[in-house]
Amino acid sequence: MVKQKHVPYLFLLPSLILILVFKIYPIFDGLKESLFAPTFLAGENLFVGFDNYRMLLDDPVFWNSIKVTLYLNVIINPLQIILAFLLAILLNKKIKGIGLFRAIHFIPIAVSMPIALIMWNVMLNPEQGVINTILVAMGFEPQPFLGSKDQAMWVIIMIATWKGVGYWAIFLLAGLQEVPKNLYEAASIDGANKWQQFKNITFQLMKRPLAFVAVADTVANFLLFAPMYVLTKGGPENSTNVLMNESFNSAFIYSDMGRAMAINIVILIILLIVILIEFRFLRAKH
Amino acid sequence: MRDLKVVSEAQKQINIDVSEVRRTQKRGEILSAFSLYILHIFLAVIVIFPLLFAVVSSFRPLEEIFRYVSPISWRTFIPTEITFEAYINLFTERGFGRIFLNTFFVSIVTVIFGIFINSMAAFAFAKFNFRGKTLLFLLVLLTFMIPFEVIAIPLYNIVDDLGWLDTYYGLIVPGLANGLVIFLYRQFFLDIPDSLLEAARIDGASWWTTYWRILMPLCKPVTVSASLLVFIFQWESFMWPLIATSSKSYRVLQVAMGDFVTEHATFWNEMFAASVLGILVPVLLVLPLQRYFVQGITGTGAKE
Repeated sequence: MVKQKHVPYLFLLPSLILILVFKIYPIFDGLKESLFAPTFLAGENLFVGFDNYRMLLDDPVFWNSIKVTLYLNVIINPLQIILAFLLAILLNKKIKGIGLFRAIHFIPIAVSMPIALIMWNVMLNPEQGVINTILVAMGFEPQPFLGSKDQAMWVIIMIATWKGVGYWAIFLLAGLQEVPKNLYEAASIDGANKWQQFKNITFQLMKRPLAFVAVADTVANFLLFAPMYVLTKGGPENSTNVLMNESFNSAFIYSDMGRAMAINIVILIILLIVILIEFRFLRAKH
Repeated sequence: MRDLKVVSEAQKQINIDVSEVRRTQKRGEILSAFSLYILHIFLAVIVIFPLLFAVVSSFRPLEEIFRYVSPISWRTFIPTEITFEAYINLFTERGFGRIFLNTFFVSIVTVIFGIFINSMAAFAFAKFNFRGKTLLFLLVLLTFMIPFEVIAIPLYNIVDDLGWLDTYYGLIVPGLANGLVIFLYRQFFLDIPDSLLEAARIDGASWWTTYWRILMPLCKPVTVSASLLVFIFQWESFMWPLIATSSKSYRVLQVAMGDFVTEHATFWNEMFAASVLGILVPVLLVLPLQRYFVQGITGTGAKE
């Protein structure tokens, strides 16, 4: 370590300025923004205190978005985390050709969300999509998919899971590869069966990477926005109108930045609570 | 003598037992390996099917896409007539040449400047002691934790005030400083012995030369993985370009894809062609450099 008066600051300067301007300042600006409302005079905002928040509480559209956001997350997060864990275990098996299978599950990482959405959207077209054709050939009824308020959210969950599980599995695979092999040998000599080995060795040692994936995945899914923008615009009948979509509409369609920012702060608060619960659940015992 | 015989009998018995156990174990292993392969192939099909279908469909003429979807037959999956019509239309009719150029430009410039300024900051954090170091590093870590989507609206206002809406600056500059990249480089720099720096300083090298000529060439693996991360992050970013640009001349790929459904809803073959091109670039980068990519993403999150 070297003590120097000016040199380190010069090296830090460019990125520090950018971080302050484009990352730190916006947080405070956003908090401030949520306390203002647009007026009829262009460019002038009125200080309204907590009115934006109070109005949200009386707004059925907002409450519907809360419900939809929680509904989405209660399903998608456990689903993706469990599937990613199972996939990681499967990709950790030393069998011939495992490199190829690993590479295959890498591919969806290179598929951006909008592209994944476009491809699935064409395949899931209710009248002419190939998925309905396959369903009919197998003897099922054709489904309305995104056209139905009961199915739209599930379609979004399915596409996001198709795209996301491989990515989260990489983190867990890296964790699995660090679990010492001799622990399993010792356990099987002691007569522990596969399930006991999983519960007492794999799961215990994987708590840290699992906690990381759980939190990162939860954040990503609470902020999921592209599927709603590209496919449903929050519909049908607001059934996919998550908080993030409602906030985007407030900001960039109705130009009510105050309401949009208030919604974002609410998202952050809910997110924080959920993350705390996840940490409690996956806390490593040492 | 008799005792010895008994022992050797017992030994034989044990040997038989062991080979018996081994044989059943082996049978079990083959069986479970077989079911493993079935499972792997099933999952691979789920992953690959949409991609393969997209590739195949992108080479069909538009009328054929609708014609053979129902009822299902081999023609649903294999084109009878191959054409590059969709790809040509993308570039001649929908302006995808400009769109790809924009996306490439934004991604590559972000990588070059991002690597530069973030590794500089990491150098300061790893090799110097200075006032406010802990606080500043906490600030960097904080940027990890603020999801971009939450600050998108105030960020839009700032970029608007700077007059950068609908410019390359607006697309590039807010994404340059990257806490993750700083963190990656810092971890690597910490492992480089200080004596190396001291030797360089004694030889009369400036701090700049020490950083640029001695440290940076040593951490090529980090540079590769960080570049990959940043490139793919920019290539796939959707919400920010959607907000920050409005004219066609600064449109990037993901925004164009996002609006494809509303703008040209019936040109299915073109949607598939654009998807194929949009996937091809990151796939060509990620697959050969898989190892670095994994190092990049796991080097920070899963461990401490």
